[in-house]
Amino acid sequence: MQSSRRSFIGSVSHGLQGAALATLFGQDLYGPDRLQAADGHTSRPAQAYDLRPKPTHFPPRAKAVIQLMMQGGPSQVDLFDPKPELDRNHGKSVLKEIAKDLSSPDAAGGLMRSPFQFAQHGQSGIWVSELLPHLSQHVDDIAVVRSMFNTHQNHEPACYKIQSGKTMPGLPALGAWVSYGLGSENANLPAYVVLTSTEGRLPTNHVQNWQSGYLPPLYQGTPMRSRGTPILNLKPEDEQPSEIERMSRDLLARLDRVHRQKRPGRLELDARIASYELAARMQLSASQALDLQNETQATLSGYGIGEKVTDEFGRQCLLARRLVESGVRFVQVHPVGQQWDNHSNIGSSLPSICRKTDKPVAGLLADLKQRGLMDDVLVVWGGEFGRLPIAQAKPGSDPKKAGRDHGPAGFTVWFAGAGIKPGTVYGATDEIGWRAVENRVSVADWHATILHLLGLHNEELFFETHGFKERLTGVEKVRIVSEICS
Amino acid sequence: MFTNLACIFRGLMAIIVLAAITVPDRGWAQTAISQAAKTQAAGHEGQFDRSIRPLLKAKCGRCHNATARKGGLDLTSLDGLRRGGESGEPAVDQSLDESLLWIMVDGGDMPPEDSEPLTQAERVLLEKWIASGSAQRELEHVVVTQHDVLPHLYARCVVCHGKRRREADLDLRTVESIRAGGKSGPAVVPGQPADSLLLKRLHAKEMPPPRELIKAGVRPLDASEIETITEWIAQGARKFDIEPDVPTGEPDPLVSEEDRQFWSFQPPVKPPVPQTAQSADLNEIDQFLLRKLKAEQLSFSPLADRRTLIRRVAYDLTGLPPDWRDVKRFRDSQDADWYARMVNHYLDSPRYGEHWGRHWLDLSGYADSEGKRSADPVRQHAWRYRDYVIRAFNSDRPFDRFLVEQIAGDELFDFENAETITPEMMDSLVATGYLRMAPDGTGSDIVDTVEERFEVVADEIEILGSSVMGLTLRCAQCHSHKYDPIPQRDYYRLVAVFQGAYDVYDWLKPTSVAGQSKQSNPTRRYLARVTPAARREWELQREKIEHQVAAVEQRLDDRRKSLRDAFITAQLASLPQELHADLRAMLAAPVEQRTDIQTYLAEKFEKRLTITDAELAKRHPELKQLQKTTQAEVKRLRAEIPPEPLIRALWDRGDPSPTWVFRRGQFTTPGQLVGPGVPSVLTDGRTPFQPQSIRGDSTGRRLAFARWLTNPNHPLTARVLVNRVWYHHFGRGIVESLANFGRTGTPPTHPELLDWLAVSFVEEGWSLKWLHREILMSRAYRQSSQLTDELAHRDPDNRLLSRMRLYRLNAESVRDSLLAVAGKLDLRPFGPPDPVVVRADGLVTSQPGTDGWRRTVYVQQRRKEIPTILETFDLPQMMPNCVRRPNSTVAPQALLLLNNGLVRELSLSMAQRIQREVAADREEQVRSIFAIALSRHPDETELAWAVESLTELTEKWREQESDAAGDVDQDQAIAPETRALANLCHVILNSAEFLFVD
Repeated sequence: MQSSRRSFIGSVSHGLQGAALATLFGQDLYGPDRLQAADGHTSRPAQAYDLRPKPTHFPPRAKAVIQLMMQGGPSQVDLFDPKPELDRNHGKSVLKEIAKDLSSPDAAGGLMRSPFQFAQHGQSGIWVSELLPHLSQHVDDIAVVRSMFNTHQNHEPACYKIQSGKTMPGLPALGAWVSYGLGSENANLPAYVVLTSTEGRLPTNHVQNWQSGYLPPLYQGTPMRSRGTPILNLKPEDEQPSEIERMSRDLLARLDRVHRQKRPGRLELDARIASYELAARMQLSASQALDLQNETQATLSGYGIGEKVTDEFGRQCLLARRLVESGVRFVQVHPVGQQWDNHSNIGSSLPSICRKTDKPVAGLLADLKQRGLMDDVLVVWGGEFGRLPIAQAKPGSDPKKAGRDHGPAGFTVWFAGAGIKPGTVYGATDEIGWRAVENRVSVADWHATILHLLGLHNEELFFETHGFKERLTGVEKVRIVSEICS
Repeated sequence: MFTNLACIFRGLMAIIVLAAITVPDRGWAQTAISQAAKTQAAGHEGQFDRSIRPLLKAKCGRCHNATARKGGLDLTSLDGLRRGGESGEPAVDQSLDESLLWIMVDGGDMPPEDSEPLTQAERVLLEKWIASGSAQRELEHVVVTQHDVLPHLYARCVVCHGKRRREADLDLRTVESIRAGGKSGPAVVPGQPADSLLLKRLHAKEMPPPRELIKAGVRPLDASEIETITEWIAQGARKFDIEPDVPTGEPDPLVSEEDRQFWSFQPPVKPPVPQTAQSADLNEIDQFLLRKLKAEQLSFSPLADRRTLIRRVAYDLTGLPPDWRDVKRFRDSQDADWYARMVNHYLDSPRYGEHWGRHWLDLSGYADSEGKRSADPVRQHAWRYRDYVIRAFNSDRPFDRFLVEQIAGDELFDFENAETITPEMMDSLVATGYLRMAPDGTGSDIVDTVEERFEVVADEIEILGSSVMGLTLRCAQCHSHKYDPIPQRDYYRLVAVFQGAYDVYDWLKPTSVAGQSKQSNPTRRYLARVTPAARREWELQREKIEHQVAAVEQRLDDRRKSLRDAFITAQLASLPQELHADLRAMLAAPVEQRTDIQTYLAEKFEKRLTITDAELAKRHPELKQLQKTTQAEVKRLRAEIPPEPLIRALWDRGDPSPTWVFRRGQFTTPGQLVGPGVPSVLTDGRTPFQPQSIRGDSTGRRLAFARWLTNPNHPLTARVLVNRVWYHHFGRGIVESLANFGRTGTPPTHPELLDWLAVSFVEEGWSLKWLHREILMSRAYRQSSQLTDELAHRDPDNRLLSRMRLYRLNAESVRDSLLAVAGKLDLRPFGPPDPVVVRADGLVTSQPGTDGWRRTVYVQQRRKEIPTILETFDLPQMMPNCVRRPNSTVAPQALLLLNNGLVRELSLSMAQRIQREVAADREEQVRSIFAIALSRHPDETELAWAVESLTELTEKWREQESDAAGDVDQDQAIAPETRALANLCHVILNSAEFLFVD
């Protein structure tokens, strides 16, 4: 069986089912309401939501977004926000002031200097620590915001907030809003794709990171993996000879046609037939979009693909590029686990995750730039919060093994690509890097800015449910961070 | 901070005079008076009293006075201006630009259109008063009551200094106990903030203790909260006689008679049944429907054929395809009443409660896990509530009783002191699981503060409001409802109803999140008050398994013993024969009972004659193997011991904390003190809410609420319910907004029919099965689903019910039907849910038992891991509940049915079933597939196609087989005929007809 299965797979190109192709015909399949019933009957569609491209509220700067979601909370004072005061006051206790932000108060130590060296880079002279040597070469392409803040000091609520604007589950994610607002530019791929790790381990909050909440399920993120089967059930678990697949589908099509003919005017049945056709097309498109075989060796190595440490995240970043190239609107990329959550041993745990992601991220920026995609694609990097400037270590433990606790009051994120003023630094934290104090940027500001760059107004992008207009930015007063926009 | 204090000290002389007096005060109404008294005592009357108050009283006071307080706002006192309304912002602040009062007046938003506006002179007066700073000076002196201070102490301190714990003997819950203080002396020195221990500790940031915050579930006080406490102490730390705001015999000032006139706030009245047409075939429902249809020159569609009706009713009542034998029986019946008998057949089926109970579980937000946190901890005993619901539906428990048990089952009996727990009592306690279903992350210390606890309470109120009351209550959590006459305080009166069981200041944690709680005590929300029978059953099960364990262990012991004996015999062989008997006796005797001779023998020979278990196992691999399998077997058996029977319940714990309105929905901006009550608009507005307790110190508040809710004249309860049942049968509600009967909801298409159903339902003893029968027997329900051009044009949305709907099966029915036709559905009901696993590739699936898979309702319902097949077909995550399933048609559904391994496997099972049940004749096989899956036989064309395909497929598989000859693989053991038949089954399971019901 093994040998016969292999020979079968070899007989169809890149695992693509001949039978799937057989049912394709060139109809526009963005959504069911576009369809006229096959027999000419029309009646009001059950719902009017689809993924066809929608007009923006004003001319957009960006057409697509790659969100590099650094769950866990990257430490700003060890990466982007150098604080000499920490060197001067190393060991000093600020417990009483900082108490309300502490997740593990019994392990709270004094102020802790960064164990890493900072230097200025590029024309812009942006400070970056030694942990990000590859990104350092691209600082003139990014805009660093050092004054982001979140409202909760724990992962789940803070991640909900970053994705959906509120600290609770059940609400539409940013990517869902974007696909609702803009639709897709590719009828054969989802508008909103999520790239999770190949291990099958989902990030904190699981699928709630890309849910559609009260928006129709059409807009929720479709998870794909960077290896193996990219989409669940995209291919049969037990592949059968293509001739048998073809015969089966042919019979199914005939039976469904008879069923349909006996029930005139039923759009839901047309929609169902259309969904089977789209399924077949997805098998083709997704396989193509996710096939890295045609990438040059130079491109692959630029992302660190083929090197043990960077291979996985490199593949995710390269796939993100391929997907936005194919017309996907919003790609959310999650490195595996919570590796930015450096509660202990920051001296080695932070360098570890930096090594895994630095080269792939820099490779993505270089690749986008080289292909001219920086004019169309917005890249956003950041976690749900940053980390506190004090040490975290159990009393009596080795101070060299200290880490840092969650720090929601001030942290760093960066933007790159379409609509961004490159080489910018915006906002500041206080002298110890705890709280954002200058030009503070809320999560709602961050959302509104991303929408703005996509040509969407955060007030005008709403969804009516139960008689209320719901928005991503809710009722909060927001400010577009125009200082980082070109 | 200290400039502020200095200000306060300046005004102290006047206040000290009043400090010792307890000012009688009914609500905040009187604070203005005490303010007047104070300013008089200070020797001058402020501008506010002279000119501003009369102005505001005249122009704004009708709505914004001390009693009515529309929008939570009283503009007739300085105190009211400073506090502001529901937004939590003061009405008058530092400057004009910051003063909401001025912004509203200046922008022309207030007074509203139908009221007299301010004159130019009045506007100038108000503007000057604010802009000149006079307002600010006067506002500095308003009175601070204990209810400005207590909410902060409750949120930040009483967890350690209150009812359950009293660190340092200090109780911070009342003015008296604060003044009395604890070990270190009084917590406050009236009039002397600087000398008050409470403030010293707060300023030093010693309290709440920084390192205890997470464990205690509190956070430090904000600067503004400390300021308020400072002011209160400076003013003498006085106690005002403030009673909670509760409904009284007086008309409610915020909800008018006009508000109550809205149709859904009026009790339903049974209208006469119109006599639209004369026919024995029409029931009352039809008469109402026909009237509207006739007005549009329409009528019902023709009757659907029998096969369609059988399939429709079976799916509608049980969520499963009809058994082919039943289809034949009813199809061929000569009985004129065959239809009624069929309806009864499915209503009596135990599968009915599983299907309809599921509808209710959606509303209650049933889940076997806590949600919110990534760990999504499992709720061990939640399933008892699921079983309770299914049994209640199957036994047609009167719906009023069903509601009362779920809302207040703990207050029906004195279960704490009952000698034996009767099944009825246990049922009532299990029923309260309804109010324990909201997602809850507070099992993790880091998210266990008043804020997150209040989210849980708000979710429970949301569940109640959307499932039973048809009101969007949540709006009133942050401000008075913008569309419906529900003032914010009505919402908090409901919070007070639940405060005996859900007290945000005295919280019972849910299941702890592993590693995230220092107070892990997984049984805190569980009661062990089960019936003796339930307990005995558990003990018997446990004993039975322990017997099995003993038997398995005995087997090992026996084997060991015989090997050891053999060892001894072998060893003895080298010793003199005459010693053998003595040595054996020595070995058998316990050390302490040995005789001297035996001890001597032991010293000399025992070592040679003994062998450890480990050594024995080393010598005998088969024993080692047996040890291993025994261990595994014991572990497996013990894992089967069910957990101790506990009830995941909600119960009143007595002596609840006070309830304050949270302005803007936030506990950090507390407002008025309120007591329990129900939304005024649903009452006459002048009936007090009077809880009575039958059990210990339980408040009885929820029972009073439940009794009110199930009063036969309640405007909403029966209407909301019959509308929901109607929706499930016809696919649209008489009121389309199922969970919103308020002003922003959709008006009923047939208001009289709705009321007739609601009143009749109550008259029929709140019997759901009566309601089903009434609906299912109607001509409307029995009509065809055929859509004609005329109907599409004249009744496009089917608002008039000119035809039946065509619908896709819901997630559970898709899965259960696949299993049923494949012969793999295990109908064992009830009990702990079947586990769900996540496969390495991310697919989530339930685990089958030995007899196949159980119905979906018995599969573990977690929030984070929903089986892929169910999620793909729109099974919702419960957040907090689901009032209406989405019904999507998307490509992943096609991908799943086409490619998923389980669907393929079930197709094969179905093929094998067909082969077992009918002869190898292809025509017969095709007929049988159609009969089982689609409840009909194929027509000539279909038959020809299917047989032709089957022949070709078999041929192809034969070719494959010969191509692959030589490969030995288990797959190859399946005959080409079976594979081809499985392909055909797979096609039918993918067909539109299998998935859609006419």
